[in-house]
Amino acid sequence: MIKLIKYEFIKKYRLIAITIIASITLNIYLITRSASGGIAFLSLFPMIMGVLFIVDIIKMYSDDLNKKSGYMLFMTPNSGYKIIVSKMITAVIEGLAILLLYFIFIIINGAYMTFQSGVEVNFNDIIYIVNNIISGSFGFNLAHIFVFMLTVLLFLISFLTTIYTAMTIRKSIFSETKFGGVLSFVIFLLLNWGISFVSSKLFNVLDPYYYTFDFSSQVTASELAHTFLPMNILSIVQIILLTLCSGYLLEKKINL
Amino acid sequence: MNKMNELLKIQHLSKYYYNKNALNDVNLSLEKGKIYGLLGPNGSGKTTLMKIIAGLHKQTSGEVLLNNRPLSYKTKANISYMPTENFFYDSFKVKDIVKFYSDMYEDFQVESAFNTLEKIKVDPEFSISKLSSGLVGKLKVALALSRNVELYMLDEPLNGVDVLSRDVIIDLITRSCGENKVIVVSTHLVSEIEKILDSLIFLKDGTIALAGDAEELRMSRCTSVEGIYKEVFGND
Repeated sequence: MIKLIKYEFIKKYRLIAITIIASITLNIYLITRSASGGIAFLSLFPMIMGVLFIVDIIKMYSDDLNKKSGYMLFMTPNSGYKIIVSKMITAVIEGLAILLLYFIFIIINGAYMTFQSGVEVNFNDIIYIVNNIISGSFGFNLAHIFVFMLTVLLFLISFLTTIYTAMTIRKSIFSETKFGGVLSFVIFLLLNWGISFVSSKLFNVLDPYYYTFDFSSQVTASELAHTFLPMNILSIVQIILLTLCSGYLLEKKINL
Repeated sequence: MNKMNELLKIQHLSKYYYNKNALNDVNLSLEKGKIYGLLGPNGSGKTTLMKIIAGLHKQTSGEVLLNNRPLSYKTKANISYMPTENFFYDSFKVKDIVKFYSDMYEDFQVESAFNTLEKIKVDPEFSISKLSSGLVGKLKVALALSRNVELYMLDEPLNGVDVLSRDVIIDLITRSCGENKVIVVSTHLVSEIEKILDSLIFLKDGTIALAGDAEELRMSRCTSVEGIYKEVFGND
């Protein structure tokens, strides 16, 4: 598994290097041009990287299914389950790396803009803010952030699994049909429709409290976790079922 | 046939595409210690058959057994398949591909691979994207034969390779065949490779038109393998 993930990153090391260099160059250009340049970059970065990320994770799997270079991977004695899970882990690591890069840019740009504005930085103030977050004085604490990040991560993985399952179904059950890309998209929409249908039924059964929760009042971390619980359970079930489905199809039905 | 000596058994294998019948009820048995020639014109089903055995395609019906076990990802560890296309990652160098094989296949012999690359004059520092089709062809053969497995399948190993290198490749194929191994070679260049073939399988429109021991077929028909090829497919 680790070897498969390693080669996914080796295959795209040039793209990673170009993206980082381009981001740094654009950031330097924008923050040195105007005071609001740093903010502009921080607004643009998530949008551009979000699109690039989606395109890249689709291409990562699509190339293996549709190009001859996919033989490199599928000739190896690795099970379909291992292959699909390695793709998903690669995508999650990539997503987290982008997030980390974004936080680094926030810190750098924040520090640069503060320095440029001439405001004297008091490190005690920073420690005071961090302490307040940890103690929950701002209405949220690290537990809130953890619950929120976990929910986002599960949603991201379930979204990825749906994309990959749609592509696997197209390349196995419907491998002999034309209009591959369009068909994959139609399968993706159908899968999402099915998941939405099941989730609406599941939410009604699992937790009616989910709908009546008042977000305007202050919530504790456990209340937040409780609120997100049905959604997270659904994401986990979705990830497991669709991964098993993709792995089985890669194993038994694939036609490259 | 001695069952103990049988490596690959194919029973009632069929493969249908939406507008084509690529393989139709193919039955075959491959014995260890032999080099098989899989012969037939374009579209006869040679590549489809090899891809099914390699696990890249799935059959519509029928069964393939390797050492009496159905094909799965585990059997891929005992099969070295060389596709006819350039399937290497473009962004890699030759040495990166060697490293990939070494990481992915426990049976891969790195030293032997580098020795072969030197012999066929493929520089490990070359980028895949800059290799000519001839060099890619030689690289494919070198890597496929640097694995230590029981079943080797080479799809058109002489395609795009210059005349001098063809002899080197034919020599490599001959050296790779041991008493527990099977080599299946598909080729259009019948005359160049017929001297090393022990058995012949002629595929025509997805069915086996003729199969048997190369020497016996030559003797019974009083002609070369190329002559038999022309007899079998001459009217197509």
